[in-house]
Formats: sequence, C-alpha cells, structure tokens
Amino acid sequence: MNDLFDLSIPEDPEAALAAVVALRRLADAIEQRAVRSALRQQWSWARIAQALGVSKQAAHKRLSHLSAGEDPI
Amino acid sequence: MFNGLKARLNDMATLRSLCEQAERQALLDQQTKPGAEQFLLAALDPKDGTARLAFEKAGADPAALRPAIARQYEDALHSIGIRLTGGTRPGTERRPLPAPAGIYDPAPSGQALMQELAASRKDHRPLLGAHVVAITAGMEHGVVARALRLMAVDPGILKSAAEVTIKGALSRAPG
Repeated sequence: MNDLFDLSIPEDPEAALAAVVALRRLADAIEQRAVRSALRQQWSWARIAQALGVSKQAAHKRLSHLSAGEDPI
Repeated sequence: MFNGLKARLNDMATLRSLCEQAERQALLDQQTKPGAEQFLLAALDPKDGTARLAFEKAGADPAALRPAIARQYEDALHSIGIRLTGGTRPGTERRPLPAPAGIYDPAPSGQALMQELAASRKDHRPLLGAHVVAITAGMEHGVVARALRLMAVDPGILKSAAEVTIKGALSRAPG
C-alpha cells in the first residue's frame, strides 16, 4: 500500500459493506505474507498466535497450510 | 430407472468437479474458501459451454468477469480512501495457495449456491454451468452482483439468458 488517504466510510450501506469485504480480503493477504515471513524466520506457531492475538490452535487451524517458502509473488 | 440413476451419478460427478474447480479458483485468488464468484468462474470453464453461452446471450463477455471481480475490490477500497498499487494488491500473486487440509469448506456465498443447487437438483438432469449462472445472477448482493454491475450486465437479463440456455440444452439432452 503506497497511498493511504483519510478513510471515509460511505453512507450507502452497499458501498460500505463492499469496503468491509475488500478490507477483510486485504487483511487476509497481509496476514498470509506476514505469517510466511515469520515461519521463514523460524517463528513458532505459539509466537505467531500471540502476535496475532489468537490461540495457537486457531492460528494453526487457519494458517498452517501456508508454507514457510517464498511469497507467491 | 437406469437412466435416472446414470443422470444422478453424472450430476454428482459434475458437482464434484465444479467444487474442485471452484476451490482451485479460490486458491489462485489466495483464498481458502470458494465463494459464489469462484463457483461462477469455475462454471465458465468451458466444460459444457452453457455458462459462457448464457453470458454471451446476455451480451456479456465471460472473459471480463475475472477482471471485474478484482476491480470491485479495488473500487471498494478506493471508496474509503485506500488505493493499492502493483504487487501490494491481493490477487496479484502468481502461485496458488496450498490446498487446506480437512473437509470441503466453501465461503458462505459458496454454501448458499450449493444449497440452491441441491434444492433444485430435480430440475437439473444434467447439472449445467448455466445453472450456476442462473443462481449467482439471482444473488442481489455480494461480489458477483458488484462485478456484474461493473460489467454493465443486468442480472435479470443474465438469469433469463441462463434459463433459456438451460431449456435449450435440456431439450437436446438424451433421455
């Protein structure tokens, strides 16, 4: 993200909810990259979970499919 | 009776293939759970050709769907003041995510689509890509609805085109 302007929430529910969906997707993408990077740096799942503010089980269940390899870019 | 059983087995194979394709589309898009948009992209894969035909009958370019899906995310972020560029955009990754372990787990919009397919399964025989088009075109909100709006496609016209396509294909189907 190289341009971040002031956030403004649209009055139109359709537009506001579409923004929520897009933000979740963006958050997922950031999370995936961050977890891959953490795994490459030998972080444990306990440490990743603590940093994400979730339980180790939750982090492992949701993110363990991510390999410790390169980002898929 | 044999024809009915055969048709049912064919439908199950088609549904399984559709689910697998939708998951593949989701993983390509760095998502683990396929939503209605990934089912629609999977249906447009030229297996029976009816989904593409429905789009073309409605005056829509099937190839424009994927870019429209990506753009509706960008437009939504832009609407709140976030502009993403280049490799920072989700979905610009080249390699798909690894498939998650465990049972098949679609996103809620994918679940809704599968439930509608299951509820109308008596009318399929066989299950066609255009059935997926008809159901997703009827979804008033969500990613597919927003992508179709960007493509200037009237969902009502697309749904009707899908229904006409289904009728034509079924009238030609054996048995």
